[in-house]
Amino acid sequence: MLIYENIILALTSIKSNKMRSFLTMLGIIIGISSVIAITSIGASAKGVVGKEFEAYGMNNMFAYLNWELTQDGVEESDLIMPEDIEALQARFPEDIKYISPYVQVESDTKIGRVKGKVSMYGVGPDYHKHKKNMKLLHGRMINASDVDGEKDRIVIEKKAALSLFNKENAVGETLAVVINGEMKDLVVVGVYEVPASLFDAMFMSDAYQTYVPYPILQTGDRSNWAIELYTNEKKNQDALGKEFTSYLARIKDKEPNFYIFESAESQLTTINKILGTLSIAIGAIAAISLVVGGIGIMNIMLVSVTERTREIGIRKSLGARTKDILMQFLIESMIISAIGGVIGTILGIVIAAVGMSFAKIAIVIDPKVIILAVGFSAMVGMFFGLYPARKAARLDPIEALRYE
Amino acid sequence: MTDEIIRMEGLTKIYDTGEIQVTALKEIDLTIHKGEFIAIMGASGSGKSTLMNIIGCLDRPTEGRYFLEGVDVMEKSDNELSAVRNKQIGFVFQSFNLISRTSALKNVELPMVYGRVGAEERKERAMELLRNVGLEDRAHHMPNELSGGQKQRVAIARALANKPQILLADEPTGNLDSQSSVEIMEIFCMLNRQEGNTVIIVTHERDIAEFTDRVITFRDGRIIKDEVKGVGSC
Repeated sequence: MLIYENIILALTSIKSNKMRSFLTMLGIIIGISSVIAITSIGASAKGVVGKEFEAYGMNNMFAYLNWELTQDGVEESDLIMPEDIEALQARFPEDIKYISPYVQVESDTKIGRVKGKVSMYGVGPDYHKHKKNMKLLHGRMINASDVDGEKDRIVIEKKAALSLFNKENAVGETLAVVINGEMKDLVVVGVYEVPASLFDAMFMSDAYQTYVPYPILQTGDRSNWAIELYTNEKKNQDALGKEFTSYLARIKDKEPNFYIFESAESQLTTINKILGTLSIAIGAIAAISLVVGGIGIMNIMLVSVTERTREIGIRKSLGARTKDILMQFLIESMIISAIGGVIGTILGIVIAAVGMSFAKIAIVIDPKVIILAVGFSAMVGMFFGLYPARKAARLDPIEALRYE
Repeated sequence: MTDEIIRMEGLTKIYDTGEIQVTALKEIDLTIHKGEFIAIMGASGSGKSTLMNIIGCLDRPTEGRYFLEGVDVMEKSDNELSAVRNKQIGFVFQSFNLISRTSALKNVELPMVYGRVGAEERKERAMELLRNVGLEDRAHHMPNELSGGQKQRVAIARALANKPQILLADEPTGNLDSQSSVEIMEIFCMLNRQEGNTVIIVTHERDIAEFTDRVITFRDGRIIKDEVKGVGSC
C-alpha cells in the first residue's frame, strides 16, 4: 500500500487549493463543532446540576399523599399527623436524620417604609446541619426549644437583613408578618447566607426565604399533606423512600402506594435523563449538517477527478493499479474530512467554553465524543469519497490520456 | 536477429462506438526482437497509435494474439497489465505528460512508487536517471519551469525508472524544435546502442525515422511496408 505517499499527495493538493479545501471542509467543521459544543454544554450542565444537588444534600426527600388516589377529596385520616411522624422516626432511628412537616407560608412585611415579602419555611431543630449549602453568619438557627415552645422566631437571609434592617446583623430585630390570618411579631435569631444557585432564577418569587419553627405555621389539628426528611445518605435513597412510605401506609391502614416520595437523587436522575436526551436530540440534528458536509466533499472530489483526468491517465500508464488510484482519492477525501473534524472539534470546544463562561460554569469535555466526532467525520469522508474515487479508478487510461 | 520480444498474430482492433464500427487494425502480424530500434510511420488514422496502445498494454486487441516476452497479454488481468506497464514498458508521449503539480524528481520517482520501491532507493535512482539526461540541477523544478526539450528528457528518465526493456515513444519530438528533437533522438540512440533497450518510436517525420534501423509503415490499419535498413543514422 502507498498510504504514506498518498497522504503526502493529498496534503499537497489540499495545500495547493487552500480556499477550495477550506470551503469543502466548512460543512464538516460546522457539523462537528455544533455536535461537540452541544454535547459539551449538555455534559457541563449535568455536572452543574449534580453539584447543586450535592450542595442541597443528596439525602433530602419529601414524602406526600399520592394525589392520583385522593382526587375525590382528601379525608382527614389520609393526612400525616404528628404521631405518624413520631412513629416513622421511632421505626427508622438510623435512617431518618431529620424529619418535619412540610409547611410554608408567604407574607408581606413592612419595616418602617421598607416593604418586603417573606416566604416562611417551617423547619424542625438544626435544619442547617442537613442543608449543606447554608451558612449561618450571625446568631443561630431555629433550635429544639423554639420548635417545642412554638416560639415566634425567624432566621432570615443576609439579603433580607440588608434590605429590611439596613444592616447585616439583624439579630434581635422583629419582623411583623401575617400567619394564617393572624398578625405576629417574629424575633430574628439568625442571619444566613447561601451561595448563588442555578435554581434561583427558576423560583420566580421575589420573597425572601426565611426559616421559622414549623409549629407556628400549622393550623388546627396539625395535619400535614407532606413531610420533609433527611435520610441516611449511605443508603439507597429509592429503597429508603419505599420503606418509609409503605410503613406510613401500613400504620395509616392505607393501600401500599397511598404515600409517595421524591428524593433529591431521583430528581437528579430525572434531570440528567432529560438533559441527556435533549443533548442527544439536538446533537443528532447537528449531525445532519455532517451529511450535508459530506455531500460537499463528494461534489468537490468529483470536480477534482475531472480536473485530474489526464493525471490519472498518466499514472495508469506508469503502472498505477485501479486500487492505487482509488486509494489516492479516498485518502484525499478522508483527510479533508478529518482535518475538518479536528478544526470543528477545536471550534466546538471554544464555542462551548465561551458559552459556559457566560454562565460561569466549568466546561466538561467528554474525550469519547471527540474521538467519535473525528472518527465519524473521517467516515463521512470515506463514504462520500468512495463514489468519486471509484469513478477515477475506473477511468480508461487511453481516454484519460487524451483528455484535454 | 536475437530474441523475440514482441509477436503479434492476426491482431485486429475494432472500436465499437455504438452506431458505427471502426476497424483500427486489421490482422496485423508483426514480430519485434530484443534490441531493435524501430520507427512506426503512417498518416493520422492509419492505426499506428492504436498499435502503440496495444503494445503498451493500455488497450486490448479485439481479435488475434499478442505475446510480450512470450506471454499472451490477452490472458492477463487488469492488475497484471498495470504491472507490465510498470516494469516492462517505458512510455514517452508527445505532450510529455508530466504531472504538473510535482517536481521533476517526483515525476521520475512515480513509476517506482507504483513499483513499491522504497523511498531512499527511489530518490537515489531518480537522481541518477536525471543525471544521465543532464538534468540533475533541475531535479526540484516544477514541469512548468522547464523547456520542452528538458520536459521530454525528464519524461525519458521517468520511462526508464523501473529499467524496462521496451521504450515506447509516441511522437516524442512532435512538440519540440529541431535542435531539441535531435537531442532527444540522440538519447534514444544511446539507450538502444549502449543500454540495449528495444526502442519503438511512432512518428510521421521522415528525418526522425532516419535515426532508426527498421521502419514499419501503416495505412488504413494494415502494414504496407516493413523495411529493415540495416543500421540507422545514429
